[in-house]
Amino acid sequence: MARASAALEVAQPVAARSSGRHWPLRRRKNVQGEAEMLMPLWLSRLVVAVTVVVVVVPLGYMVLMSFTPNNDVALGTISSAVLTVSNYVHMWSDAPLAQGLVNTLIIAGSSAALSVAVGLLAAYPLTRFVFRGRRGYLYTLIGVQTVPGTTLLLPLFAVFSWAQTTLSVHMIGTYFPIILTYMTFGVPLSTWLLVAYLRSVPRELDEAALVDGCSHLGALWRVLFPVALPAVVVAFVFAFLVGWNDVLFASVFTNQSTQTLAIALERFSATSESTGLPVYGELMSAAVVSSLPVVIIYLIFQRYLVHGLAAGSTTG
Amino acid sequence: MAGRPRGAAPWLVAAARRWRDRPLWMLLPATVALLVIVLVPVVITIWLSLLNVNVSTLRQWLGAPFYGIHNFINAFTQPSTLGVTLGWSIFVSFAFSLLTTVVITPIGMLTAFSVHRRFRGRGVVRAIYLIPYVVPTFVTALTARVVFLNGSGLVDKILGGLGITNGQTYWLIGPNAYWAMQLTEIWATWPFIYLMTLAGLQAVPKEHYEASALDGAGKFQRMRYVIVPELAGVLKLAMLLSTLFHFGNFTLAFVMFGSPPPTGVEVLPIAAYYNAFDFFNYGVASAIAVITMVILIIPGYLYLRSTRLAGELA
Repeated sequence: MARASAALEVAQPVAARSSGRHWPLRRRKNVQGEAEMLMPLWLSRLVVAVTVVVVVVPLGYMVLMSFTPNNDVALGTISSAVLTVSNYVHMWSDAPLAQGLVNTLIIAGSSAALSVAVGLLAAYPLTRFVFRGRRGYLYTLIGVQTVPGTTLLLPLFAVFSWAQTTLSVHMIGTYFPIILTYMTFGVPLSTWLLVAYLRSVPRELDEAALVDGCSHLGALWRVLFPVALPAVVVAFVFAFLVGWNDVLFASVFTNQSTQTLAIALERFSATSESTGLPVYGELMSAAVVSSLPVVIIYLIFQRYLVHGLAAGSTTG
Repeated sequence: MAGRPRGAAPWLVAAARRWRDRPLWMLLPATVALLVIVLVPVVITIWLSLLNVNVSTLRQWLGAPFYGIHNFINAFTQPSTLGVTLGWSIFVSFAFSLLTTVVITPIGMLTAFSVHRRFRGRGVVRAIYLIPYVVPTFVTALTARVVFLNGSGLVDKILGGLGITNGQTYWLIGPNAYWAMQLTEIWATWPFIYLMTLAGLQAVPKEHYEASALDGAGKFQRMRYVIVPELAGVLKLAMLLSTLFHFGNFTLAFVMFGSPPPTGVEVLPIAAYYNAFDFFNYGVASAIAVITMVILIIPGYLYLRSTRLAGELA
């Protein structure tokens, strides 16, 4: 719309412009601009100013404290001019953050990859065929996302410890149960995202592949997968962040050597407070480091965020 | 195409053909996953809630003695190690999720309306708005722990500096803990409503704004008769989802406070968690989980209905 009116304006003879006959166009633009303005200007400005301050101040405080020596944070000497990067150096040796990071990458990465693979496989028949129970299946996919985490934690823990005793295999503390658990959220989420995407991909595409002699699996892998790559990436990212952000399951299913970044940080905070030497500065630098990748990923995938929200996000 | 192999039964050939032509087997991994890690655990939770399962019977929980509704009675009548009963936790959870939704809805709507208009720096403002929501909850909780420190934290500094309090409030223990958690949750989650409202606004056809502007509708009239009706659906969904998610809040209460957390923040997930992994009473913990599920059935059902699958997928 804006582009069209600009083009029109260029088409106006210069004489007409200088004589002020372009005002109908201007006015049209104003109507449009006004239409976008849902509230009085002063109110919009006030709301933006207040909310930006309220959001930025605690975040700024977190970053500032991450560069402030531990003792100064505990004493609250905010004005200290002794900003230092030592927190960012010492936190790696004071808490097993590097190990936690590696564990998180392994756990969240595998569970996201498995979730997307399973989801892609399921999204194909769900969008390509009409069969009895299809709608029920889709409803189930949404329904399971409302099951609260604590409802799943206890029985999974009971099953894993039972399997551990009965089959005498080591389970709790290994990667396996935690990867499986994160698929609880990853599979419905990625299936739903991929169903939504594949629905908009014309069927002619995979039908052509079938005519050319591809199997269904081949059509999915060779034709639809490349087309659906954006949705695959988004599903992977959302499933990955489930593992990155979780504390509930990881605090039960992991041990010293398999703990995720979130747990490493949580224990670091708990132990440092119980020993009476709170390392708040290092805690904040670790907090910055563990949120920065997530914030960057989200800013990149901003456009898809609403889609992921509607598909059921689990930030709790 | 080559005709059926000699000797193969017709039904087998038909099955094989169906397998090839309609590969519903591709649903198998997802179905198994959903069954094994969601539906079966839900059934087991219900079963566990009827058994007397504690630390000595957990590993052989299948053989634990049947306990009937005793776990439920105990949950409501006997305080756990946390010193609270189930009734209290239900109350805190309700208060927390409803209050959060009630407060963040107007904030989210106002901000979405404010940045709907184009202005210089809008992209930056929108990016800033995303940050509190996308920062991992455990990071928000750790930061809140430092921000709410007694005396030396940012909140006490500001309140003390303004003379509202003496700057020596205990936020992380005692009765103020609930409000510290509530404020933190509001700070972290209002962008959810904002994002949903924004999505709803984008779905309103441009012509509707323009038509109402040309017809001389004032801002208030337009808001009342054009925008709000168009947004009603998405807002209802957003409020429902917000209530649903905040009811399951665990991480904030778990990470923000010491262990065990203060009474005021003992929401249902915290109660279930501590009953199981601190008190080792899995039966009571399962009973709490079952009650959580029962409470969430109604909003969950409303959510399913509002997704309007029928229209979208038919």
